[in-house]
Amino acid sequence: MPRSADFYTERVSYRSSPVLRRLLLAAPLVMIALLPGTALAASGLNPLPPAGVSPNGRNIYNLYLGISIPALIVFALVEGLLLTIVIRDRRRRLGPDYKPPQWHGNGRLEIIWTVVPLLLMVAIGTVSFFELQRDFQRPADAATDMQVDVSGHQFGWTFAYPQGFAITSDGLNANPLVVPTGKLVRLKLNSEDVIHGFWVPDISGKTDLVPGYDNYTWFKIDQPGEWRGECTELCGSGHSTMQLLVKAVSPSDFNTWAAQQQAAQAPSPSPPAGSPGPSPRASASPSPSPSASVRPSPSPSS
Amino acid sequence: MATLAPPRPKSYDDTFWKPISLWLTTTDHKLIGIMYMTTGILSFVVGGLFALIIRLQLTTPNAHVVDAETYNQLISAHGTTMIFFFVTIFMTGIANYFVPLMVGARDMAFPRLNLLGFWMIPVSIIIYYSGFFTGGALNAGWTGYAPLTTRQFNPGLGVDLWALSLIVWAISGIMASTNFLTTIVALRAPGMRLTRLPLFVWAQISTSILLLIVGAPLAAALILLEFDRQFATNFFTTQGRPVLYQHLFWFFGHPEVYIMILPGFGLISEIIPVFARKPIFGYGTMVAALFGIVFLSMAVWAHHMFTVGMNIYVETFFMIMTMLIAVPTGIKFFNWIATAWKGSIDFTLPMKFAFGFMATFLIGGITGIYLSAVPVDTQLHQSYYVVAHLHYVLFGGSVMTIFAGFYYWFPKITGRKLNETLGEWHFWTVLIGFNATFLVMHTLGLEGMPRRIATYPGGFGEEGWGATNAFITVASFLVALSVLLFIINVVTSWRNGEVAGDDPWEGNTLEWATSSPPPPYNFDHVPQVRSFMPLRDQRNERRSREAEASAS
Repeated sequence: MPRSADFYTERVSYRSSPVLRRLLLAAPLVMIALLPGTALAASGLNPLPPAGVSPNGRNIYNLYLGISIPALIVFALVEGLLLTIVIRDRRRRLGPDYKPPQWHGNGRLEIIWTVVPLLLMVAIGTVSFFELQRDFQRPADAATDMQVDVSGHQFGWTFAYPQGFAITSDGLNANPLVVPTGKLVRLKLNSEDVIHGFWVPDISGKTDLVPGYDNYTWFKIDQPGEWRGECTELCGSGHSTMQLLVKAVSPSDFNTWAAQQQAAQAPSPSPPAGSPGPSPRASASPSPSPSASVRPSPSPSS
Repeated sequence: MATLAPPRPKSYDDTFWKPISLWLTTTDHKLIGIMYMTTGILSFVVGGLFALIIRLQLTTPNAHVVDAETYNQLISAHGTTMIFFFVTIFMTGIANYFVPLMVGARDMAFPRLNLLGFWMIPVSIIIYYSGFFTGGALNAGWTGYAPLTTRQFNPGLGVDLWALSLIVWAISGIMASTNFLTTIVALRAPGMRLTRLPLFVWAQISTSILLLIVGAPLAAALILLEFDRQFATNFFTTQGRPVLYQHLFWFFGHPEVYIMILPGFGLISEIIPVFARKPIFGYGTMVAALFGIVFLSMAVWAHHMFTVGMNIYVETFFMIMTMLIAVPTGIKFFNWIATAWKGSIDFTLPMKFAFGFMATFLIGGITGIYLSAVPVDTQLHQSYYVVAHLHYVLFGGSVMTIFAGFYYWFPKITGRKLNETLGEWHFWTVLIGFNATFLVMHTLGLEGMPRRIATYPGGFGEEGWGATNAFITVASFLVALSVLLFIINVVTSWRNGEVAGDDPWEGNTLEWATSSPPPPYNFDHVPQVRSFMPLRDQRNERRSREAEASAS
């Protein structure tokens, strides 16, 4: 680094300043820096995404953790440098006679802080690319245990099952998408009107439902349970009511449930009369029980 | 008024009632710059009021401060106002005022085009807001995604007014960009080589190039949308290609992010050397980094669309390009740090805001890395994590640089300094309020709260979002308080502030060579330019002359 003639003498001058005083000066700044962290921990707020009950969701979680390592190092490094300057290089402390070194640049340093971030980004990009290849392609038919055709509309969902029945969920009281545990479920996503988004944070990432073409996503839930989500693409005045539930049950329970649905949909081609709710569609019952409403499958699955 | 304005150009005096002739018909870049900046600040206040209503609505679960339709109009208006009518317009204004001064020119290259370009902005704003009085303004978010904005799902006039407003805005932006580029290329003072241009001017060159390239695609997207709405074409309807709209919009939309931040980068590059008493570290790499950002920013737009179902290899391309932007941005960051390193730093208000900018913008940059990784983005996209991220880069980034620039150049524009005590209060309230508002907002997104929902259920999942949201609302009012302090400061200091003198900060660049406020023709005679810090050269010469004189 090119240094002015008085550089070394200047360096001695601030080295000789009392360490204790500098620490005292730093204390409030460090406290300000730590405050958000302590507040987070105290309030139980989570700085991480959900761990994921499906392998693809878990891989996203792990990638998030992996990116956090360089991210936190860079954060600490840069904020540390800024804090050092704020504490150490004040004119009020150094006095009006201090002559700062007049550096115009330094080729080697500038190459370092070009190349190091570049390598870091390439590394993060490579890891992310492998994750894309692993989890973000449409699962092969052979690997798929079941495909559910999910269709979005203002403001709800239709889940068409391969067994030939469909569940419709409208508005706030969502009817769950019921799936068996331990099976790879492929979702074919499409929209009847505007763009919607399918997102159940605890399972995996989100995929849009776009009119005109099919998108695919998948999950393989490892435990029974129920997880919530909602539409993630602003779709009109009822957007926030477009709730979504996914319920995983054991394969045998699923088969029982699916048989019930099949039996219920067979005799009536139209939605059961007197179903509650303002929507003309077969709408959800207040309790998210899977047998509440069914309607004939609009399309056989591929 | 007399204290506000530089002396009036004589040619207007005899014709009309003077204030009207002065402010409505002036072609003086400084007066036009003040009008741009005033328009920007007014939009900031209006957009901020929208934000406060949004925050009130979100304070508790299942709230009904406004209904869902109004809420959707409010979030659209908040985004449109802040992005199009505040940040971009304010940046255009500050550049309008200072680019000619910094290159040593008498005015912009095309003064009448400048006048036209400015007056198109109030027209654009009036067209947009008239939507509120004609049955509802745009209600599909500031991005106006089709097919929600097609006639089938949105029969009202609001979308048409919004589209027309932004087309007018884009044309105005193209005019301003042409004007800036011509001014910088053709009207530089003798000796002001390109390698001696202040970095703020370089930032304005890169911004203007970006807006020239991406302004037209925005207008094109909106014109095609209007074709769909008025003439029953099918570009973006459910029978067409809705995602094509997103491509066109974000081809403008992502560079727009840099149109809003690059002038801010330029401001920071001016402010740090002045208050650290050191030259900028790595002038050449700073300029190269600007153009690296310009180039890359036009090849990253689809990172806003990682969930629409693109081929993974296309996604990988946009992911890598997005990550690469961290490299030139990192260069700028480390060069700023190296500029301040071992400096003799006077932490005046502009410098405080510059450091506040670096401390907060860094967080926005780091969350940007998470978002650029496609798999992680599918979790974070369209959630409050993204809302927090974009406010860290737009508020912690652009708005902090605007404050830094405002405190830095207010003495030049008005001849008076802003009040320091009020300024200190403003700085600390905005820094604490902003971080309190937006840092915890990341966790809402991580817990699964999508953006743009008019309300959210209480106790639907295992943990509620109510407590975090209530905290954010309280903190957001601290930000509102800070803006109030800022405006009080501007209004009172403009009339009664401490008189600043021509060069209160011992600046490096040519705008400090003239009086404060500058006369209509800017310079009596343009100083000689022999480096990228002409004023510092002049000051050093004068000092050595004085030293010699006192020695002899």
